Amino acid sequence: MLSPLIWEHDMLLTVENLETWYGPIAAMKGVNLSVAEGRIVTVLGANGAGKTTLLNTLAGVIDPFKGAVRFNGQPIHGLDADVIARKGLVLVPEGRQVYPFLSVSDNLAMGAYPRSDRDAVARDRERVFGWFPRLREREAQMAGLLSGGEQQMLAIGRAFLSAPRLLMLDEPSLGLSPLLTHEIFAIVRRIRDETGTAVLVVEQNAAVALAHGDDGYIMELGRIVAHDTCAALSQKADVREAYLGGGGGHGLSGTAQRWKRRKTWR
Amino acid sequence: MDPITFQGNDTPARVFRARAREWAERPALRHKRRGLWQSLTWRDYYERARAFGLALADLGVARGDIIAVLAENRPEWLIADIGAQCMGVVGNGVYPTASADQLRHILTDSGTRLLVVENQEQLEKALAVRADCPELMRILVIEREGLRGLDDPGVGFFDEFVARGDELATTHAADFEAAIDAGRAEDLAFLVYTSGTTGAPKGAMIANRNVVFQLTKAREYLHVAPGDKSLSFLPLCHIAERMASVFNPLAVGLIVHFPENAGTVQNDLREVAPHVVFAPPRFWEKMHSAVELYMRDAVAPARWVYRQALRAGEGQVQALLDGQPVPRLGFGARALRALAFRNIRAFLGLTNCRSALTGAAPVPPDLIRWFLSIGVELRESFGMTETSGFATATPSGGLRLGWAGIAAGDTEVRIAPDGEIQIRGANVFAGYWNAPEKTAETITPEGWLRTGDVGEIGPHGYLAIRDRLKDIIITAGGKNITPTQIESQIKFSPYVTDAVVIGEGRRYVTALVMIDLEHVARYAQEQAIPYTDFASLTRAPEIVALIGAEIEAVNPRLARVEQIKDFRIIDQLLTAEDEELTPTMKLKRKVIAAKYATLIDSMYAP
Repeated sequence: MLSPLIWEHDMLLTVENLETWYGPIAAMKGVNLSVAEGRIVTVLGANGAGKTTLLNTLAGVIDPFKGAVRFNGQPIHGLDADVIARKGLVLVPEGRQVYPFLSVSDNLAMGAYPRSDRDAVARDRERVFGWFPRLREREAQMAGLLSGGEQQMLAIGRAFLSAPRLLMLDEPSLGLSPLLTHEIFAIVRRIRDETGTAVLVVEQNAAVALAHGDDGYIMELGRIVAHDTCAALSQKADVREAYLGGGGGHGLSGTAQRWKRRKTWR
Repeated sequence: MDPITFQGNDTPARVFRARAREWAERPALRHKRRGLWQSLTWRDYYERARAFGLALADLGVARGDIIAVLAENRPEWLIADIGAQCMGVVGNGVYPTASADQLRHILTDSGTRLLVVENQEQLEKALAVRADCPELMRILVIEREGLRGLDDPGVGFFDEFVARGDELATTHAADFEAAIDAGRAEDLAFLVYTSGTTGAPKGAMIANRNVVFQLTKAREYLHVAPGDKSLSFLPLCHIAERMASVFNPLAVGLIVHFPENAGTVQNDLREVAPHVVFAPPRFWEKMHSAVELYMRDAVAPARWVYRQALRAGEGQVQALLDGQPVPRLGFGARALRALAFRNIRAFLGLTNCRSALTGAAPVPPDLIRWFLSIGVELRESFGMTETSGFATATPSGGLRLGWAGIAAGDTEVRIAPDGEIQIRGANVFAGYWNAPEKTAETITPEGWLRTGDVGEIGPHGYLAIRDRLKDIIITAGGKNITPTQIESQIKFSPYVTDAVVIGEGRRYVTALVMIDLEHVARYAQEQAIPYTDFASLTRAPEIVALIGAEIEAVNPRLARVEQIKDFRIIDQLLTAEDEELTPTMKLKRKVIAAKYATLIDSMYAP
């Protein structure tokens, strides 16, 4: 049960003992995590586990109380969000947050705003349209009129246009059908395969995230409680019961299980 | 045999009936439901026990049959246990953390006829083994949650069962009284399966006379008055809690309180502020480390007051321990101590505690000193399942560090030539269930109980326990080492939950350590030590250094051959369901030695 990769390889992102407080509440207590070049890393956890806080802290939206974040070897904790985004750490926030009154095309242009290399931007735009043909069909439409899935695609496309080295996705499955969720994750994988962009994705839909991710972390009450490859995580009994709907079902008494095992994350 | 009686009654069932009449309207049990304490009077308690007993008879459970309870501590546990005993049915308890395999062993070994389970989770365990238990007629479930769709003729609900008994009581109440009258002193009262760090659990038979004898002795070590409170938070399947919650109240009139759940014990202690607390050293150590860690985070003036107050009391503590007249403190020192320790006692729920007792494992002397300085006289005692509870206890005002007190009245204690402690008296149990050969190994023909512990008796008549006879380590150099004593010193560290000392046939002594996740995780966070899961925490060099320093702190107090030369941290988070731990969360020496053989060998690699 040796830990994969951690602390040894060249890491694109390393997070050490990150602590974030909302007033008197500690939302994250000493989180350690790392993302290697070109990997899809998933962070699972229930509501209130601190997943969004983690991404917001990494993106510079919130300043950490303690701890260090190194991106590409440089410390980035405490920097402003725009500076971090320019360094290539780009967040796709929860609930898409596209500009509803701008067209799809303009939304994508907003993503490319910091870039000056027009040819490369045009090429990336084509790539986005290649991954999400439906965005091309709706290029001139206002983003607010897109469906939820299309908005998610747009948000990912917009983030990609700012030339990320690490794409952070905050619950891309939120409000989407299972089929669409799979589609989005499949495209996230394609983006990684074709461009080598690393991905850090926070999810409640554990089955999908574990199926598409490489490495996984499980977060509970502001702490990381388990980490391993996604394949190994999905074999753990506690993960199966708590996140994959494994243990439950009907017991010998013929009634649905109402109790939970004590978790050790072995 | 001489008749042993408590206020003229020679069975616990008759004492129960007499008390229920005497104290009818007084509260007997209290439990918390939806955040509010609910009381059961002695009359309620008796009537429910009667209903349960009558319903048992109605089902066909006869005198001498076995029933078992698989539940956390709650009033239903006691109602079932004593209701059965009144009918001459023998009660037994199963640890709520027991695995299905352990449950199967206990049910089949004892031939249990009826099993009371707490909820759906425990019901699943029972159903998983039911096919292997032909004698099991019925399972009763206490909590209905999630079981609305239950359709199983072999499973019923506890409340319906008691309601059936209530109906029977309107016409057949006399049957219950007759059953109590028919009980004899030598009949079995209940079974206790010994958790056993070795081998399969055995059912120790506790007879009525054993219980009544303990009732007559309760006042020797409990200083309480009727109406005083206790909190029932240790497993009821264990002899100590069984005696404390089911029987001692009959002797001294304690009101037994049940915690809301296992996670609320600290809060419930604070709320109830019991007059009696018996708990193993581990529990008291946790109180101590909680205070120490809180003080570390406290504001500077609070820390100063705490340290000064501890220092001011040192002379008094020493005088108390030496049996010298206690020096009177100046006004300043007294004010300081009142300021610091009144709050600490309130925080720990020990404000009212007049009888604080510990036992079942060696007690670190520093722990007793600390409690004495905050004004709690923590008294060491000795007892085991086979002595039906207490066998020796330290009298109030007679603390001697490292000694576990004097033998209960009318019992004898001797040290056999091989150093084993042996006990004779009416507290010695009636033998092991269905295992006469094991009984013969344990009780000599002259009636001496072989405790399996090694110890000595001092000139003052106090007993000291050194170790389990079987656990004594003989090193390659031929030195005898008592591992339990060393382990208890290591365990005093807030960062260590348990440790196993190793050295049998080895050149030197080493240890395997189980860390306390809560305190170590907190240390890691404070010191910014990176880790993700439990295993990575145990491997962090700073944590290894932390535990190393704790062991280094113990080493100077040990003889040279006993000193721990190397250690390893167990890298898995163990729970009571794991075979490595006893239900009381102690590491099992034999299992650990086998399971971690390679880890152990790595400490002896050249």
